[in-house]
Amino acid sequence: MVRSAENLRICLVASAGGHASQLLELSESWRGIHTFCITTTSAVREKFSKYGRVYIAGECNREHLLRVILVLLRCARIVFRERPDVVISTGAAVGCIACYLGKLLGARVIWVDSITNVERLSLSGRLVRYIADLFLVQWPELAEHYRNVEYVGAVV
Amino acid sequence: MIFLTVGTQFPFDRLVRAVDRMIDDGLISETLFAQIGESSYKPRNFESAASLEKRVFDNYVKQASSIIGHAGMGTISTAMQYDKALLVMPRLKKYGEVVNDHQVAIARRFEKLGYLLAAYQAEELPEKIRLLRTFVPRKRLAQPELVAERITRFLKELTAKDKKG
Repeated sequence: MVRSAENLRICLVASAGGHASQLLELSESWRGIHTFCITTTSAVREKFSKYGRVYIAGECNREHLLRVILVLLRCARIVFRERPDVVISTGAAVGCIACYLGKLLGARVIWVDSITNVERLSLSGRLVRYIADLFLVQWPELAEHYRNVEYVGAVV
Repeated sequence: MIFLTVGTQFPFDRLVRAVDRMIDDGLISETLFAQIGESSYKPRNFESAASLEKRVFDNYVKQASSIIGHAGMGTISTAMQYDKALLVMPRLKKYGEVVNDHQVAIARRFEKLGYLLAAYQAEELPEKIRLLRTFVPRKRLAQPELVAERITRFLKELTAKDKKG
């Protein structure tokens, strides 16, 4: 498979709020590359709209299993249709789900754990660490504490 | 002007009420404006809005002499961006203000690094408000460009590998 950065397809995924803000701070890294987005509510559709098609997967967290399944099914449809080469996420649950689905279809996974995880990785981050190809944290102490975790700076 | 913000997603009546009471008690004499989200408590001593557009929000932050807020990252990073003295009170899970206590961890870390002041209970607010008047925050350097560069490098390596294969 011959690919240059320009014809990669990147899936950007983050929950609304701080996760989304941190992800969009990194927009320089996908400049000129085809992207599409997955987020949790249409309230932030606008925020993502510069970066290709925006899919709304709905809110979910570990406490509501049915909602997790619903979001998983929606993400599965999106990821099957779009076939990303790379998934980039800052969390939370929806990011974790999209990373696993992307990985199943052969995508590379880039995870940037949120700044709010100060003492240990987020639950989603801990799960994604098993499959991530690049795993970045925003506190140097976390990089010392976990293997295959890099710190290069804080996003916010 | 002091700007009070508790974000827009969930109510944080405990902080809004405590600030209102401090004005009653004469502990805050400056005018105050607040973004209080869906708080059910209606402040008696200051004007407020449920939510503000990002641009308007940033403008209030810019104009404020100091900021009081929950320990949300939006609040913290905006205050840091404009070098403002910030006092946070973390939302707590036990009061149903948030799903977990991550705001406590953030407040502790940023407080320890000298970026902000923190009150972990409403009772600590009067003392911290007094300190806020003269508090000079340490300048925070966020480096999103370094993180973006690392990702760019990864993508380049990825496509270079593909070309070889």
